[in-house]
Amino acid sequence: MTEFLFFIEVLVGGLLAGTMYSLVALGFVLIYKASSTFNFAQGAMVFFAVLAFVGLMELGLSFPLAFIATIFLMFLVGLGTERLVLEPLMNQSEDTLLMATIGLGFVLEGLAQAAWGVEVRRLDLGIGDFPIPWIVDNLGLFISALDLTAGAVATVMIVGLALLFKYTKMGLGLRAVADDPGAASSIGIPLKNIMLMVWTAAGIVALIAGMMWGARAGVQFALVDLALKALPVLIIGGFSSIPGAIVGGLIIGATEKILEVYVGPFFGGAIEGWAPYVLAIFFLLYRPEGLFGEKIIRRV
Amino acid sequence: MSANSDDILVIDTIEVVYDNVIAALHDVSLTVPRGSIVALLGGNGAGKSTTLKSVSTMLAAERGKVTKGTITYDGTPVKNQGPAEMVGLGMVQVLEGRRCFGHLTVEENIIAGAYSRKLSKSEIRNDLEKIYAYFKRLKERRKSQAGFTSGGEQQMIAVARAMMAKPKMLLLDEPSMGLAPQLVAEIFNIVKELNEKEGVSILLAEQNTNVALRNADYGYIIETGHVMLHGTAESLLTDDKVKELYLGISKEGRKNFRDVLRAESA
Repeated sequence: MTEFLFFIEVLVGGLLAGTMYSLVALGFVLIYKASSTFNFAQGAMVFFAVLAFVGLMELGLSFPLAFIATIFLMFLVGLGTERLVLEPLMNQSEDTLLMATIGLGFVLEGLAQAAWGVEVRRLDLGIGDFPIPWIVDNLGLFISALDLTAGAVATVMIVGLALLFKYTKMGLGLRAVADDPGAASSIGIPLKNIMLMVWTAAGIVALIAGMMWGARAGVQFALVDLALKALPVLIIGGFSSIPGAIVGGLIIGATEKILEVYVGPFFGGAIEGWAPYVLAIFFLLYRPEGLFGEKIIRRV
Repeated sequence: MSANSDDILVIDTIEVVYDNVIAALHDVSLTVPRGSIVALLGGNGAGKSTTLKSVSTMLAAERGKVTKGTITYDGTPVKNQGPAEMVGLGMVQVLEGRRCFGHLTVEENIIAGAYSRKLSKSEIRNDLEKIYAYFKRLKERRKSQAGFTSGGEQQMIAVARAMMAKPKMLLLDEPSMGLAPQLVAEIFNIVKELNEKEGVSILLAEQNTNVALRNADYGYIIETGHVMLHGTAESLLTDDKVKELYLGISKEGRKNFRDVLRAESA
């Protein structure tokens, strides 16, 4: 019985940690949907956003004020990206855009560190990274409050975005642009506004993901690399799918923890660092569009 | 060509250059009288699409530029407004190759056409029903994913989507492309109906000269960026040169338009 409880604990812990991956992956999906570009700067945006947030709090802003100010800042980042990077590169190949996002990543990393310094900062959200007593007492499971919060936040964001895309005018515009920017433009959908909206949304998602990660691991440069954990999540879930981002995150979170605990010892441990990528390769071989990725529709 | 308020579109000797070096149009002039259907005919690479794109200002997205001449739409000079603004002025282009939003449903595709208009949900429903009255086939398929509909249906979606923007003028780029003759006829019937009942002026680029001239009021034939010939649809349909070159009614095999003119002047 305790064996089983332990398994459940590992699984739940993994799933909840997975929602953190989902949050980061969500930022990638948004931009991928709108411009078919893998935004290499997403990791840098996570770092930039949360560092700015912590920096603003250090300047004496209250939590909600700093939060709003950072969202505004991410809007400016989106605006700047749209005007200075995307617009001049309009109609260039996707490879060109990909390279541009790598450059953008370096710029954001540099700007963030120039403005706020390089030391690791602590972010206290008032939610501890320790087991919730009530769950320990009643279910006998050790589940972290922070994990649970991240899970709830991720769920709310994902449901919210999915509804936004399905039922609002902006959402329809975004999906139209995602399918065919030229055709969208021909019927009067303003591409610039859609891009700006998407980058701002990706910035907000980056901020929230950064806050969750930062509260656990400290606000530091390593967040940039952590964000690349979203890559296997995207390969499994599908680059263009919001539900895919969440399920992919859950799968990665759960598998890496279960493998770490049950298979890890045979490899001398620490397999959670690379196990997700092995899983991703498996997916690339057998289901390259991912679980929920939009199948390429080709009429014959 | 004199500007006349009865003309919704006047193109006056425009030259279009792509990438600053490749000249696609040299001296194209044409006029679309309000409420008429004008056909723009010619083979591949003649400059039909380029002409339409210079009017809708979609040209900039392909690094093309109008370097000489003027375009006047509904009294407004067309410069570099951008497609969104042109749609706002009531000019919508239906791009070559249909270009539906494959992952959206048929109905979502059509509704997307109303993006530039500020409409309430009930107004959208209302307009949608009006559009379905012309495109009955689309109403049956409204829940299907557009990417899985037939070529003819996709062409209808593209036209219906453009109509949802409530245009005064439609630019249709090769609606007959790749479609069976019955479907081409069906689509042209709808286009004609839209023109008559909704009063939409239409500039139609086509390679299918026969169908285009049967439905249009006036026609222009362009080749390698020059207008070679123009006249009423009836006069072009009975013109020997047009018959020989574009309608395939020939005595001596294929010819280039220039050769016919040269043979004539010789």
